Amino acid sequence: MQSEARPEKGWEPRILAFLCNWCSYAGADLAGVSRIQYPPNLRIIRVPCSGRINPFFLLRGLQNGADGVLVSGCHPGDCHYISGNLAARRKFALVQELLKYAGIEPERVQFTWVSASEGGRFAAIVEKVVEQIQKLGPNKKLVKSYER
Amino acid sequence: MSASHQIEARLRETVEKLLREKKVSLFLGFEKASLPFRTTPLFLTKTQEVERLAWNPFCTANLSVYLPRLFQAPADARAAKAAPPPPTVGVALKGCDARSVVALLQERQLPRENLVLLGIACPGMVDRRKAEKALGEHEALGAGEDGRGNIRVVVDDGTEITLRREDVVADACLECRSPAPAIHDILLGTPVEGKKTETARLRTAEFESRPLEARWAGFQEVVARCIRCNACRQACPMCYCKTCIFDQTRPRWIGAGTNISDVAIYHLVRAFHLAGRCTECGACERACPMGIDVRLLGRKLSAEVEDLYGYRPGEAIEATPVLSSFAMDDPQDFVTEP
Repeated sequence: MQSEARPEKGWEPRILAFLCNWCSYAGADLAGVSRIQYPPNLRIIRVPCSGRINPFFLLRGLQNGADGVLVSGCHPGDCHYISGNLAARRKFALVQELLKYAGIEPERVQFTWVSASEGGRFAAIVEKVVEQIQKLGPNKKLVKSYER
Repeated sequence: MSASHQIEARLRETVEKLLREKKVSLFLGFEKASLPFRTTPLFLTKTQEVERLAWNPFCTANLSVYLPRLFQAPADARAAKAAPPPPTVGVALKGCDARSVVALLQERQLPRENLVLLGIACPGMVDRRKAEKALGEHEALGAGEDGRGNIRVVVDDGTEITLRREDVVADACLECRSPAPAIHDILLGTPVEGKKTETARLRTAEFESRPLEARWAGFQEVVARCIRCNACRQACPMCYCKTCIFDQTRPRWIGAGTNISDVAIYHLVRAFHLAGRCTECGACERACPMGIDVRLLGRKLSAEVEDLYGYRPGEAIEATPVLSSFAMDDPQDFVTEP
């Protein structure tokens, strides 16, 4: 997702979503199969586990023009790898505090848990995230401009 | 005679004995530098040279940064056969340096049996920049400690100026809560146990109380002045990775230049990499040629790690690093709910 000049008018947020293979990706799939409507602003990347996500991925996404990042894994206790999401939870808590402290809107980077049976929950969360980011407007803080 | 002079004499005695009895083959200490307010690291192997060892209010460097590379594992079996046996190393440690050694031992970067840790009671080290600022127009020609622990400076017009120690001590020392070496085989001087200070907390709280855009502006001040020299990384004892994402070119994870986005990401990533690992020695801040508040983000993460998980790095070798462990009931109020 290279950042390109885009008009503010008619702007639609582009949100990068990291979904774990075992729960959230299946949850998103269920939302689709069940024909639940949700905003089409996500660009989904499937990862083996939420524990696979290095906070650097989130920053890199924002740097390359994503307006927000959503990370979703299995509910605590349900991880396919037993504890991947629990280790991830500590990282995510710190990342969000760090970004907030550095002056980046906390809504830009969001974390949640969605199980394989929660298609409705997935759609509801996407709706909420998209709405929040729409209110914030385009991400300008960390986006890399290649002109300079 | 000042406190540091007494410790210096005992330090030389102790190190001479360690080297003579072959308890250590190498000792890491400090040596007087040619400029006032400075010392340089000294790698000592000969008993005859023990007089070069110095202990004064300017021994700021964290010597534990040199340790991991002394014990690097050989690349393969053939190299292992040819490699000399790992050295036995003695090292002079202040409270913060000892915390770094604990953290390195915790992460299994050092063999404990090859180390002789010489803890020294530290009353706080002088920040060269603060001292130079306090002198104003004057240029220092020489500096030392007086009987009461204050800093006596001879300046260019031949007069002597005394600076109060608490006025010129480094920020990291003002924020230091455990000046007593957490781990040591030999201890010189009588350290202060469990110093109470809220300096770091207050600074963090002040920054945090600003509105979002002001915080971003504050962070941008750091970013705008950074020249990406990587000195903060080099000086950090916890930055021992053999390959670093800031150096890799295939793929090039982060641009190496001073593009503001790259610089911001550099500081965020560096701070996060040290989350729950930073022992708050202030080496990064001292190393910075631009005088940036390099620990701006780190201070926040340290406070957060302590509040959320009750963990302080560099306290116990047996403790599991905070981001390598978890609890079922870790706080998760940051999670988005529909």
